[in-house]
Amino acid sequence: MSSRSDGRLRGEARPIAIVYEKLDRADGSASFAFGSTKALASVSGPIEVRLAAEQPSKATFEVSVRPLSGVPGTESKALSASLRALLAPALLLSRNPRTLVQLVVQSLAPSRQTGTGTGLFGAPLMAAMVNAATLALLNAGSVPMAGVVCAVAVARVRPSAAGVSSPALVLDPTEDELAASDGGGCFAFIFAAHPTPEQSDAQFGSRLVWTDWRVTGGGTDVDELARAKLLARSGVEHVWQQVKESVGRAAVVPAPGLSQKPSKTAKTEDVEMKVDEEEEDDDAKMEI
Amino acid sequence: MRPPSPSIPEKEFLFSTLEKSLRLDGRGLIEMRPLELTFGEELGHVDCTLGKTRVLAQVDAKMVRPLPERPFEGIISVHSEISPMASPEYESTGRPSDEEVALSRMLDKVIRRSDAVDREALCILAGQRVWHLRLTIHCLSDAGNLLDCACMAGMVALRHFRRPDVEVIGDEVTVHPPSSRAPVPLSLHHTPFSLTFALFAPSSSHTNISSQTAPITLLDPSLLEQRLASGTLSLALNAQRELCVVHKAGGVPLTPEEVLSAVNIAVQKAKELEKMVDARVREDWAMKKIEVR
Repeated sequence: MSSRSDGRLRGEARPIAIVYEKLDRADGSASFAFGSTKALASVSGPIEVRLAAEQPSKATFEVSVRPLSGVPGTESKALSASLRALLAPALLLSRNPRTLVQLVVQSLAPSRQTGTGTGLFGAPLMAAMVNAATLALLNAGSVPMAGVVCAVAVARVRPSAAGVSSPALVLDPTEDELAASDGGGCFAFIFAAHPTPEQSDAQFGSRLVWTDWRVTGGGTDVDELARAKLLARSGVEHVWQQVKESVGRAAVVPAPGLSQKPSKTAKTEDVEMKVDEEEEDDDAKMEI
Repeated sequence: MRPPSPSIPEKEFLFSTLEKSLRLDGRGLIEMRPLELTFGEELGHVDCTLGKTRVLAQVDAKMVRPLPERPFEGIISVHSEISPMASPEYESTGRPSDEEVALSRMLDKVIRRSDAVDREALCILAGQRVWHLRLTIHCLSDAGNLLDCACMAGMVALRHFRRPDVEVIGDEVTVHPPSSRAPVPLSLHHTPFSLTFALFAPSSSHTNISSQTAPITLLDPSLLEQRLASGTLSLALNAQRELCVVHKAGGVPLTPEEVLSAVNIAVQKAKELEKMVDARVREDWAMKKIEVR
């Protein structure tokens, strides 16, 4: 079993770092990182919308992607269109018509990681952006959501580089691995309760919602795509666990000096006494 | 929809506290918010927070052909677009807002026109190869005084950045990667800092105060103070008492003495900032173990 240059297993992602950035002017903000591939997202909404963008039956969802260096160009426009397509199904936009949900995603990955041209280099960053956007939406808590979208990148490393006879699929490739691969893409899954035709209740699980799997050399077939999807699904479970844990950790800390906690025993005693009184009154009322 | 802030109670409260020389966040009139600099993994990547205002700056460099009219100088380009992340008021449509224009003009004056970076030191091979430095400013959060924070972030990023070491023998140019030779810091002539004062006209309702009273000046205004100010004065100067930019566009008039007293306050602050920035940059370089000796 050939291991990777940084000692990870084929289906192991880089260490995930989630920070709720608490940006002052945004409703929700968070950053997500796979190792050093980091993205920061902020969400504001539902807020006032420009008359030109107003929609009578649902909220307008605008996504804007900013690269770390230089001004946003066509690649940023393409990324923001993709992000919009894959996040829109997770949001219940019809609950807030005539408003705006504004998502801004800032890439914090060094430019040599994003590269130009092939777009293969962009897969881990795309995955980080999707996860950051999801975290920002969860942090805002103001946009109703149908599910949680998490994403992870998969690459197909060339045989000579990986040391195996056939091309190997690896999860969350580093830039060196991407340079040695001839195929790859980002897989985005939505975690929600999906109604199934067989059972009456909805079953909670992940479903693939978007992918940009492509190969630049050699061929590919449906089986390879299925294997890549399977690898991605197992990887994205880990991402989703991290996202869930972080939401628990991000509980609001009360302001210092505000909470003068009374002794807990006294409080519960009071409550118990009141409950007893109420019960007595009820009983008294019942026995007319 | 909700009318824009500030509301009348906010306005009245601010003015009444200012008359008592108090600020809403408890600072002194010429006290700045706490400044924090966080450096990233890459050289030239810095996250600058001034209270709740947060700006990210990033520098990268590549070798290009110089401009034909300036064959001995490198090129510096500054990109600063304010995204809706900074505040929902900034729209993501192509047209730059007034604040964006003001910010990019000030950054241009402070960083490029003030000759802070030695452009001739960026020349590799005269007429053929020079360094093109690209400074990108990302405004992450606008909680007042975005201008000072952005200029600070830009200058600190340029201080922190190190370019690869280049060897020129005849016409051959060899670029040494950071692993073999330590990268070289940029040659900076000086480090200008931008300091903004918000001006509040004295209230004319008090009969015993003559109309010649000086306006109240607050250093490093918060968002509410900036919105309610009746004028701002931005000074860009360095610790050597040299003025780079004096920007006062309209607003309540100031006498020359008042401007000079603001300059004196700003010089004090610039000296403190210079010491703090120098210490932080050296600390980060030492931590990154750049110079392998």
